[in-house]
Amino acid sequence: MRWATRPGVHIDRAACAWLIRRHLDPEPEFVFVDDPASVPADATPFDMRGAELSHHGGDCSFETILRRYDLDDPVLWKLAEIVHEADIDDERFDAPEAPGVDVILRGLSMICDDERVLEITGPLFDGLYEFHRRALLLGREPA
Amino acid sequence: MSTAGQWVLLAYRIPRQPSTLRITVWRKLDRLGVARLGDGLVALPADARTREQIDWIAEEIGEMGGSSTVWLAAAGSAAQERAIAAEMRAARAAEYRAVLEQAEAAARARPGERSRAWKRLQAELRRIGRRDYFPPAEREAAQRAVRTLAGTGTGAGAGEVAR
Repeated sequence: MRWATRPGVHIDRAACAWLIRRHLDPEPEFVFVDDPASVPADATPFDMRGAELSHHGGDCSFETILRRYDLDDPVLWKLAEIVHEADIDDERFDAPEAPGVDVILRGLSMICDDERVLEITGPLFDGLYEFHRRALLLGREPA
Repeated sequence: MSTAGQWVLLAYRIPRQPSTLRITVWRKLDRLGVARLGDGLVALPADARTREQIDWIAEEIGEMGGSSTVWLAAAGSAAQERAIAAEMRAARAAEYRAVLEQAEAAARARPGERSRAWKRLQAELRRIGRRDYFPPAEREAAQRAVRTLAGTGTGAGAGEVAR
C-alpha cells in the first residue's frame, strides 16, 4: 500500500510510519508531499492537514491511528504518550523520554533525508517498544 | 532566531459560544508565545516547528466550527519587525522575572521545599524557553537562580541527583 505524509519528518510522522509498518502494512511505500492536494489517489495520507489519520481533538496522529485501527496494546499506548509529549508538549502525560526523543529526531532531520530518518528510527521505536514491554511485564524498569 | 525573516501568520475566527473553545485556542496560542497583531491575528517567526504548530491549531479551529487561514509573510519594514520582536522579548522577560523571584524566595525555604521549587521552576524555564524566540537578558539571571537552588538542595532524591 502507499502512504503519504509531509516531508521533513519529525517524531509523529516517524512514529506513525513505524506503527504502519509493524501493525498495518508490512510492505508500505511512503511518499512525501508538501500539499494535502498532491496526495496520490491510491495513497492514504497521515499527519497532514485535512487527513483522517491526523491530529484530532488534542490527539497527535500516532494516537489517532491507534484509535482508528483499534490497536489497544498498552505498550503502544505507552509509546503514544512519549510521541504525544515529544510532538505536542502539552504536559498531558508524564513522559520523561519525550524531550530526548524530540531532540534526536530534530537532529536526524538535519543530517539525513526522510527515507533515511524512517530507516534509522525503525530500530529506535523497536527498542522503545521492547523496553516498555518489559517494564510493563516487570512492573518496574527493566535492566 | 533571526529577525528580518519570514513569519507565519494565523488569521482566525472562532464562534463566540461556547466560550471554552475560544479559551482553549487562546491558551494554546499563549503557550506558543505568539505575537498578537490584531483581533484574531497572531504571528510567530516561521520555522518547521512553528509552522506545524500553527497548522494544527488552524485545523483544530476548523474542527470547532471556526475558520482560519495560515500565511507566510515578511514585515513591511525592519522597524515594524523589531517592534514586534521587542514586544515578544518583553513578554518573555516578564516570565523570566517571575521565575527569578520565585527562585529567590525558594532559596530561603527549607531544603525539601527548595528542591520541589527547583524541579517546578526548571520545568517552567523549559516551557518559557520553547516560546522564547528573542531571548531577553533576564533569561540568564533566571537560569542562574534556578541552578543555585539545585546546588543547595540537600533533600534531593536519587533521581534528582542523576540529572
